[in-house]
Amino acid sequence: MSAIDVDLAVNGFITGLFYALMAIGLSLIFGILKIVNFAHGEFYMVGAYAYTLVALAFGVPVWVALPIAFLVGALVGWATERTLMRPLYAGYTSWGLMRDEYAVIVTFGLSLFLINLVDKVIGPYAYRGPPLVETSRVVLGPVLISGHRLLAAGIAIAVILVTAALIKWSFWGQQIRAVSQNRLGASLAGIDTAKASAIVFMLSGGLAAFAGALLSPVINASPDVGIFPAVKSYIIVVLGGMGSVPGAIVASLLLGVIESFGAVYLSYQYRDAFGLILLMLFLLFRPQGLFGEKGREV
Amino acid sequence: MAKFSRRGALRAGLATAAALALTASAQAADPIKVGVTITQSPPGSVVQGTQVKDGLEVAAKIINDAGGVDGRKIELVIEDTQGLPEKARAAVEKLATRDKVAAITGEHQSSAALAGIEVAHRYKIPYVNTNAWSDVVREKGYPEVFNPGNYNSRVGSAAAATMKELGAKRVVSFAENTDYGIGLAKAIGEALKKIAPEIEYKYETLDRASKDFLPAILPLRANPPDAIINLMLPPAAYIMMNQVYEQGVAPSAKTWLYDGSGLADYPDFWQNVKEAGKGMLVFGLYHPKMAQPPLGKQVGDAYTAKTKNEPNRLLFQAADSLFLIADAIKRAKSTEPEAIIKALGETKYTGTRGEITFAKDKGFSFNQWLEVPYVTFQMTEVNQKVGDSALVSQPGQPVDKSKLWKPAK
Amino acid sequence: MTQASPAPAAGAQLTTTKTTVEFRAALVAMAIVALIPLGVSNPYWLGVLIVSMYFAILAGGWNLLAGYAGQFSLAPATFAMIGAYTTGLLGTYYNVPPLLGIAAAIVVSGLVGLVLGRAVLRLVGPYLALTTLSFAEIMRLVASNTIDITRGDLGLGVAGLPIGRLAWYYLFLAVLVVLLILFYLLLRSKAGLFLQAIRDDEVAARRAGVDVVFWKTAAFTLSAAASGLAGALYAHFAELVTPELGLIAQTGLILSMAVIGGMGTLAGPLVAAFLVYVLSEWLRDVGGYQLVVFAALVVIFARFFREGLWGLAKAAVRRWRQA
Repeated sequence: MSAIDVDLAVNGFITGLFYALMAIGLSLIFGILKIVNFAHGEFYMVGAYAYTLVALAFGVPVWVALPIAFLVGALVGWATERTLMRPLYAGYTSWGLMRDEYAVIVTFGLSLFLINLVDKVIGPYAYRGPPLVETSRVVLGPVLISGHRLLAAGIAIAVILVTAALIKWSFWGQQIRAVSQNRLGASLAGIDTAKASAIVFMLSGGLAAFAGALLSPVINASPDVGIFPAVKSYIIVVLGGMGSVPGAIVASLLLGVIESFGAVYLSYQYRDAFGLILLMLFLLFRPQGLFGEKGREV
Repeated sequence: MAKFSRRGALRAGLATAAALALTASAQAADPIKVGVTITQSPPGSVVQGTQVKDGLEVAAKIINDAGGVDGRKIELVIEDTQGLPEKARAAVEKLATRDKVAAITGEHQSSAALAGIEVAHRYKIPYVNTNAWSDVVREKGYPEVFNPGNYNSRVGSAAAATMKELGAKRVVSFAENTDYGIGLAKAIGEALKKIAPEIEYKYETLDRASKDFLPAILPLRANPPDAIINLMLPPAAYIMMNQVYEQGVAPSAKTWLYDGSGLADYPDFWQNVKEAGKGMLVFGLYHPKMAQPPLGKQVGDAYTAKTKNEPNRLLFQAADSLFLIADAIKRAKSTEPEAIIKALGETKYTGTRGEITFAKDKGFSFNQWLEVPYVTFQMTEVNQKVGDSALVSQPGQPVDKSKLWKPAK
Repeated sequence: MTQASPAPAAGAQLTTTKTTVEFRAALVAMAIVALIPLGVSNPYWLGVLIVSMYFAILAGGWNLLAGYAGQFSLAPATFAMIGAYTTGLLGTYYNVPPLLGIAAAIVVSGLVGLVLGRAVLRLVGPYLALTTLSFAEIMRLVASNTIDITRGDLGLGVAGLPIGRLAWYYLFLAVLVVLLILFYLLLRSKAGLFLQAIRDDEVAARRAGVDVVFWKTAAFTLSAAASGLAGALYAHFAELVTPELGLIAQTGLILSMAVIGGMGTLAGPLVAAFLVYVLSEWLRDVGGYQLVVFAALVVIFARFFREGLWGLAKAAVRRWRQA
């Protein structure tokens, strides 16, 4: 393995960590509601803006701005669930059996709304979020990396592990997994399914927003900044199996590394297309992904 | 002796009076509408659009304060193209058919210009290209289109000359995947072949929407070139520069970083690149220490007074665009499109940067001001203002190597 | 009739009447559009209306696929782009005359729609949406990056037709009306019932003997062909083709028109296309909040007014009749 391969692997891995942070929330939402939230990218965008504006306009130190971004994302997620997700639960006649299609339309519309709202109210210019540290270059063996990226990677690992642990072992984590497996059964067993959905949306919004904040020094906050992480998240969630958190994490790291190597050894221009092609292939031939439950066919 | 009735005389008198009154009011009140197509919202470069707009407004005010053009004020009608060719086409269409402007100017992005000139050519409206560098705009040979701004071949020969003067043996360009970037990269390659064929040159096309260029940069670490030329626009350019610096490639003791895209003019440049910009060589179309005609100084000062910013090259290009139109209308004594076009062709006008004339040879020189002045300067400190940077070559002069700064490693 | 209520023998009758009412309303709207040039002669506004017709075709085609057949594809703009590039590339490289180019565009888009439709047969809801979304993005990336062929973001120059703006206006209108009639005939026939049965409950439809595979594929093909036609016409009108035609934002606009107008109704999307586009052009001079408003309307209508403006209009008429 030559020096450049080590570089590519490490950088791909780190990119994958950030992808995982973005994608876990989407996976959770799918698990519990069986829908794809097309406004997921905008949760990311909201976080990037919250962090950047709070730090730049109010002079809040970066370590306080980060959790604020998380909270803002969680709030937007919660609001989305409360106002728009009701029709997905039983008993809403207008869309009848077309609940999936309702989710597509309403989240797509929400995405357009948020993007254009921010564009008009805050402005179309990109804002660069303050980095966590100013060190431009850190040497780690054969790898050179910016101080901020290194620190952000470390934080991402920590947050991912904590989230995975919470899902696996905490009280609400278990409730959520129960609802994901069988909504009707879970509610019969006395679980508050609406509350579980709300919590999932809050977590999803918070995590995506946090990712947006962490990456804002590199991927500056702009109204359409969420499109790129959203597309990556869709790819990851399908690859990893919808609803599977470990699946999402593995798929994220894989995608990061594949894109990194693919860009150098295959084609630089189409590197963003690799993931999309993988997505289409999986959707067409193996929709359950690598780790998900089978059976999304009609 | 002809006999004329009183009624006839009265009628004639009224008619004459009415005609005089109409012409007078028409002349005094009727502004000359000049259409402007610029980017005012993404995905195009809003920063550039704003600089062009400010430049045009400063020039318009100077013209109008001096009484306008033969008593008629200039009125700018501005359309937002968002930097998209389709919107640019629609904008020119709108200005030509709905607003019926006398001339169109302001365009600062090549892809938008290429779409806009088609419409201008169809409606035969004069189009003064403010800042589209693409040679294709000239090569089309449309008589309506005039180019007082920079052109790719100019940057190509300037960059090639600079590379030769620096003594570089291997040069790599990072170009954005647009006609602008690729056109520029090719122009540099052509120029190098002519004046320095011994220099090894290649260019990488990068997606301007991408957020990560490490895969393109990492291969350079093992075998760094002597110079990297930037042919990308923000925000991708900033991401690329930061990563090139982070990987220790450029600016470094071994590798020069040369910017051919006017990055230093962007107000958010330093905020985004910090250390990565220290030592960057810049192909500049404007430097405060360079020689300028008096009109240039006047426009620059008016701009600073209005916006509280240092002048930049787009400002002068935009102001010149408007001055040229006004000058042409004055010489043609008409606002008819064909008359303006003819007058523009005969231009010999000293604007803010020098004396402007338009060449007639086909190809990239058609209706182009060939001797657009340029300089090379180097940023030697973080957060340095362009005015404080080291002017490494004056217009028409080679690089003064004694003024160059090189980092330690 | 708003949802999948049980359909007795009289059901077929009800559907026919509903569709016929919508058809008649749509024809009235088209007649109004036909008369507009008597009062408006400014080429700029005629141009705006022409682009509205472009969107009306796209919205109508998407409505057929999503509103009637229940297949929520996120690629309508992509098929328009494919149609536009087909005629543009044929014209530029093989000197194919525009009329042939447009015909080719219909065929090519239809074929691609056919293939895509067959490929996504087993997918529903979000899976279908994601697949069509990836397809859309991949196509756009290809168009953008193959600069040597398509000239990428620069745009491909396309030959115009030797006709004036007014002629273009009536050409687009004629195509729109022909498609409207075509869709009406289709929906009024058994095909319409089959499509809606598939939309409302695919499993039940299959069990009742509906050839789901055939009809789903047919819906995709027809929708794609219509979009391709619109794209090709637009290419010759604007004399420029760029990957911008296939942007997700354009699909968003098309979806907005269909949802706001009323999905699953013949007249809704058509009328909404005009309203939305004309308003968006008009409001652009006045501050540009139109996209925020339209997106908000999409969310609100989806959440509260499934039948869109058409449904609201119906309710208003009903209330007025009762008063």
